[in-house]
Amino acid sequence: MIKIENLTKEYGKVRALDSLSLEIHPEEIFGLLGPNGAGKTTTIKILNTLVKPTSGRAWLDGFDVVQNPLQIKQRIGVVPQENNLDRDLTALENLKIYGLLHHLADLNTKIEAHLRSVDLWERRHDPVQTFSGGMQRRLLIARALLGNPQILFLDEPTIGLDPQVRREIWNTIRRIRTQGGTVLLTTHYIEEAEALSDRVGILSHGRLIALDTPENLKKMVGEYVVEYVSQDGSKVYQMCRTKEDAQCHLLRTENEMTFRKANLEDVFVKLTGARIET
Amino acid sequence: MGYIFTSMMVPLLYLLAFGLGLGRTVQVSGVSYFNYLLPGLVAMSSMNNSYNWIASGLNLSRLYFKTFQVLVQAPIASTSIIAGYVISGMVRGLFASLMIILVGLLAGSGFHLSLIFVLTLLLNCFLFSNLGVIVGMITKSHEDTSTYANFFILPMVFFSGTFFPIERMPTILKGIILCLPLTHTNILIRKTVWDNQAGVSFLVMAAYAALFFIIGSRMIKNYSE
Repeated sequence: MIKIENLTKEYGKVRALDSLSLEIHPEEIFGLLGPNGAGKTTTIKILNTLVKPTSGRAWLDGFDVVQNPLQIKQRIGVVPQENNLDRDLTALENLKIYGLLHHLADLNTKIEAHLRSVDLWERRHDPVQTFSGGMQRRLLIARALLGNPQILFLDEPTIGLDPQVRREIWNTIRRIRTQGGTVLLTTHYIEEAEALSDRVGILSHGRLIALDTPENLKKMVGEYVVEYVSQDGSKVYQMCRTKEDAQCHLLRTENEMTFRKANLEDVFVKLTGARIET
Repeated sequence: MGYIFTSMMVPLLYLLAFGLGLGRTVQVSGVSYFNYLLPGLVAMSSMNNSYNWIASGLNLSRLYFKTFQVLVQAPIASTSIIAGYVISGMVRGLFASLMIILVGLLAGSGFHLSLIFVLTLLLNCFLFSNLGVIVGMITKSHEDTSTYANFFILPMVFFSGTFFPIERMPTILKGIILCLPLTHTNILIRKTVWDNQAGVSFLVMAAYAALFFIIGSRMIKNYSE
């Protein structure tokens, strides 16, 4: 389990994270959603010991992230936002080094299993710099899973990837949960948070502004959205709690309107007044 | 091949220009200038290669390639991480030194490999590899590594006894020069017998090496982005 209490991180005068408190349950996929600069990556980096918090505390399975970094590192796998594979080495060599650093037993067997699971076994002897972006992302996931971590951190795992590759990676993430792992996923892709997360925390300017299941968050602000263009040319989003309310709006105006189900971005807009830019 | 050529180039130029140009006719400290210069160039080359390989490489891996983060997120001690970097720096420095020695031998140097020479060379590579770790950890951009090299490493090359004995320096500067680690490398690497001066230089080098290792380890242990 992951427990965070009043976690704050300041970089000079900039407060990247502001008194964040939340708990993530075992075998849960928890999505942290928010625009760039909201504090998502800072949260993940504090939990995986790369960043020391300014104040507040966090625990993974009872181990403090500042006091017990060794125990934390033994339990986690990390897929970072940046691609930190060694591009001069092959896929096999990258995983071998990772396995040796993490003192993994039966390394060759594990490497083969994980490379096959992400469909990279045939390319194991090729330098990573010859891989496409999607292949490198899959290799990062295979590397993070090599030690069978109890907690997996995925920081923007599908950023910059095309939709087909994105969905392949979603399936890989879903398989992780079925194998008993806990996943903390950060993303600014609404559909990704909705598709994968059991619960979602929404961050804005370093603060947690909402936390619940995707369905409950949408119900909080209204299940349906009527969109239309106003007289001044700006797009208006009208949240409606029921389909009947939405239909009333459709009948009430002569403007061209579209009618859809609410998504998490609508929740974000309702709570902050701004959109999550993608 | 590119690295072999690069590591030999500057010391080779010095050796040819000063060593052969002056070397046969000028005597320094009782030996030909060529034979005086060669150990100094070995010291300089081992320092430059050990330091630059680590400072530059660690800076790039930390700030740009992010491969350093893979190491600090692994469940291993910070001393293991710095040991890995230092050993790689030492190998680089020793290889560059070997190239200079080979060129010197081919040019007819009366060079003899002694235990003191080998010990000094190893300690020098170790010392400056650790310094490279410190600089690689504190620099905020790749350009900063050149700044540190220009302000600390380069002056050491010219004033620490590489090209001429420090006895010829003004007294006011000798105190500062004797505090520099490369000065003691140059003193020790030219010794043929172990005496009190060798003992002092060895202790100074060992103290610097231990200090840099401890500081570097602590910086890695306390690393936070």
